[in-house]
Amino acid sequence: MIAKPHSALILVGHGSTVNPDSSAPTFDHAAEIIRRGLFAEVHCAFWKEEPSLRQVLHMVDAEEIYIVPNFISEGYFTRTVIPRELELTGPVTERDGRVIKYCEPVGSHARMTELLVHRAAAVAPGVPPEKSTLFIVGHGTNLNDNSAIAAKREVELIAAQGRYAEVRNAYMEEEPLISKWDEYSTQPNVVVVPFFIADGLHSYEDIPVLLGIAEESPGAASANASGVFANNPYDRRGRTLFYASAIGTEPLFADLVLEQVAAFDAAHAVPA
Amino acid sequence: MRSVLQTLSDWLAAGGHSIGQIHIAAQGAGFQLTHQDDRERTDLAARTGVEAARELAHYDDAGKFRPLKTAPNLRHGWRLSVADLPELRRALDYFYPAMLGVWLSQSRGELTPVPLRETLARQTGMYRVTQLITDEQAQEMIGTHCRLDGGCLKRILWPLAPDVPLSSLSAEKLDPTAPAGTLPLLCHEACNLLVAKAREVVKKAQQQQ
Repeated sequence: MIAKPHSALILVGHGSTVNPDSSAPTFDHAAEIIRRGLFAEVHCAFWKEEPSLRQVLHMVDAEEIYIVPNFISEGYFTRTVIPRELELTGPVTERDGRVIKYCEPVGSHARMTELLVHRAAAVAPGVPPEKSTLFIVGHGTNLNDNSAIAAKREVELIAAQGRYAEVRNAYMEEEPLISKWDEYSTQPNVVVVPFFIADGLHSYEDIPVLLGIAEESPGAASANASGVFANNPYDRRGRTLFYASAIGTEPLFADLVLEQVAAFDAAHAVPA
Repeated sequence: MRSVLQTLSDWLAAGGHSIGQIHIAAQGAGFQLTHQDDRERTDLAARTGVEAARELAHYDDAGKFRPLKTAPNLRHGWRLSVADLPELRRALDYFYPAMLGVWLSQSRGELTPVPLRETLARQTGMYRVTQLITDEQAQEMIGTHCRLDGGCLKRILWPLAPDVPLSSLSAEKLDPTAPAGTLPLLCHEACNLLVAKAREVVKKAQQQQ
């Protein structure tokens, strides 16, 4: 297990000015890493919430700082927004006596495939995968369209395991549309895992409506403890449908954050 | 060597007790936090630990999400116990994110205010359009959304442009000093909420043309 008793770790999330649950997984994973006592300091920063990317470096005492984006994929935010707002010059930025190390986003980690399968099995316990269609749902068509590519890659990797009868991609705003899930699946059981960081606007308020398991937006997840997930499974369109919480809420994400720090060190090791 | 924790410790030792709408009191080896308005109340719900601070800071009295933690709408009716100084620091970072560290940076001469024009010039994607906001529109927007009464409790350190001061706010709002015992909430750069407002202003003006 990685231990950095003199370093700071900053988890960067997107956050939201509207949805109270967008920042929750980032705060949760940070709290778990603080509990493990591996870093001198652990902080969160957000694009749309506080502390902002422009504030967070003022919270830090340590001279070595690891930045891990809690994002589902490489994309506009990890390549443009975060480096710009933190004034990074590359993977390693040296400024004002500090060394800032910019790690890969959590979602790019090779263990994402394992986490998706884990989440799919957890939401549909005892349901045979060989009689199930697994959907990995991404956003599609926005600035961060690399998330669609990443979701597609995960589907190919899970399909190659041969465990599920079918593994499919679907998107909110482009074909194949998640609203047509019954047309893209042939199995009696359908398991849907959102390829999102948080149970925010998209995975909690939009996708349930598109799936036909909510008449209208159920509101924020935190305000609906007995809401969408508690009512699994759903009998819809002649199938049994299971809808999972966003993959980013998986507690194992905290491990991936730490592994991205270790991966950064391995990739940027100075030869002895 | 910087130490946010030592700064907090020194501030408390010098009689510090207020930050934003929070009142801090020593409680054994730890601390008790309450809303300033609730100091005399005896019917407060007792909460314990750092993570409770996250939830308390997240919603207002009506249960509505508070995206801006320095908005003057901290919820009432609770008292929060934290075990020690490190827990107090983390709780304050939930209530008023980064404000301890920003104050430390300012006191060390390491805080550089960024003019609004510079913040907007940096924007890309959907916020690039904010560069079209006029000085007049920006002053009006700032006067509406940043004002102390109902907007935001931070004191603004940045100008509109290097040679254009803010003209639509009270002198108090632009004064970074705080009364004795009070830790100042400092704004060294426009927040994303204001940048998003600037986008709304520009889009609305474009529609009206």
